[in-house]
Amino acid sequence: MQVPEDLLYTDEHEWIKRVSDTVVRLGITDYAQDQLGDVVYVELPEVGSDVAKDDILVEVESTKSVGEVYAPFTGKIKAVNQAVVDAPELVNQSPYDGAWFVELEFEGVFPLEGLLDAAAYQELTE
Amino acid sequence: MNRSPLHDLHARHGARFVDFGGWEMPVRYASVIAEHRAVRSSAGLFDVTHLGRFRLGGSGARPALDRLLSNDLARIEPGKTQYTMILNDEGGIVDDLIVWWRSADEYWVLPNAANHDRVMAAFSEEPGCEIEDLRPTTVMVALQGPEAIAAFERVLGAAPGRFRTADAMFAGHEVQMAGTGYTGERGGEICINTESADQLVTALVETGVTLCGLGARDTLRLEAGLPLWGADIDETTTPLEAGLGYAVALDHDFVGREALATQKASGITRRLVGFVMEGRGVPRHGYGVRTASGGGSVTSGNISPVLDTGVGLAYVSPPPRLGEAIEVEIRTRMVPATIVKPPFYKR
Repeated sequence: MQVPEDLLYTDEHEWIKRVSDTVVRLGITDYAQDQLGDVVYVELPEVGSDVAKDDILVEVESTKSVGEVYAPFTGKIKAVNQAVVDAPELVNQSPYDGAWFVELEFEGVFPLEGLLDAAAYQELTE
Repeated sequence: MNRSPLHDLHARHGARFVDFGGWEMPVRYASVIAEHRAVRSSAGLFDVTHLGRFRLGGSGARPALDRLLSNDLARIEPGKTQYTMILNDEGGIVDDLIVWWRSADEYWVLPNAANHDRVMAAFSEEPGCEIEDLRPTTVMVALQGPEAIAAFERVLGAAPGRFRTADAMFAGHEVQMAGTGYTGERGGEICINTESADQLVTALVETGVTLCGLGARDTLRLEAGLPLWGADIDETTTPLEAGLGYAVALDHDFVGREALATQKASGITRRLVGFVMEGRGVPRHGYGVRTASGGGSVTSGNISPVLDTGVGLAYVSPPPRLGEAIEVEIRTRMVPATIVKPPFYKR
């Protein structure tokens, strides 16, 4: 199971990558896609919408189940990845690159609280 | 938890297991969709050891089959199989099952896994029935797909005809087969003694057959428009409502006949129908359905890997017409869909 060193993680199996001072990119981990199985459907939020911490951000469905991705903190949707809507199998093939879901803009200081580093996340999945 | 004698083989091949009615069975090895496609394009093998199966003989066997089952064995002959149902007095479906009429006085009855005990008990209460439970001593596998028949012939030297029973020898033991399945493809099901099962499956895999989990079996049966007991049909639904009237012979006497005759005369008020999604979204069991004049609820739904769109089965009241536009309630959204006649995919 891949757990890249340069990402942060949530205990809900999301990865978070800092792309600028105020924006993070977000997706689900290799472990999460493996647990889900073949992803067949992804529903993304609208660009520009406001989300509160723990809101449902993304719906991810596999052949066997419906899953949700929650907002790790409050912010605004800056961008979404249409490619993963058009080809949900990207989530299985490339969970950390091709299958990012959204870019989320936050205000103020980067809300690190509750996020895990690669080692801590690795431990969580073992 | 019950385990198939093939459990170690599955684990060697990287199976993910899940509880299927008290049986720990493979749900997938790697990808459900890849396994689904293997069955549509070549051949796949499913361990279905959890399925019910018992041998029925004795002088009371035929009268019991006639009395308890909705279909009529007079429509077939020894050496053939029949899809049929056991009903309650209200015409509700206690189980849908297959009978293998192996020879003049030997019947195999194959209920759903969850209903094995109940169906076997119903037959054991009928006079003159001799019953042998086959589940403890055998493994059952399904070999399905356009290349399945060739795989049967390579490994067993014989293949069952469509809806026919057949026998073969493997590793010095007799194996029993039938040209049946649950995928909409040619192929068959094989019953083998537990000791030889690993060797048989290994031989089939070596000839290029793909191991498939029960996840793919479910998407395949849905694409083929085949109902699942416990999801699409149960004691509260009748064969007429479920579109299974072809497996009901009202011209013979059986438990539930009277209720069905009454329902047939008065007409059904709801019908199990197929639909294809026109908008984005995956229909799931329990989602609501809205039509111009009524509505209902989804009983099975998923993505069709072949059509690459959502498909499902739903009870709709009043029964809609083919081609009618409907809406499926997917969480907070109403998504358009169209009523179609299953199967969604036909070879």
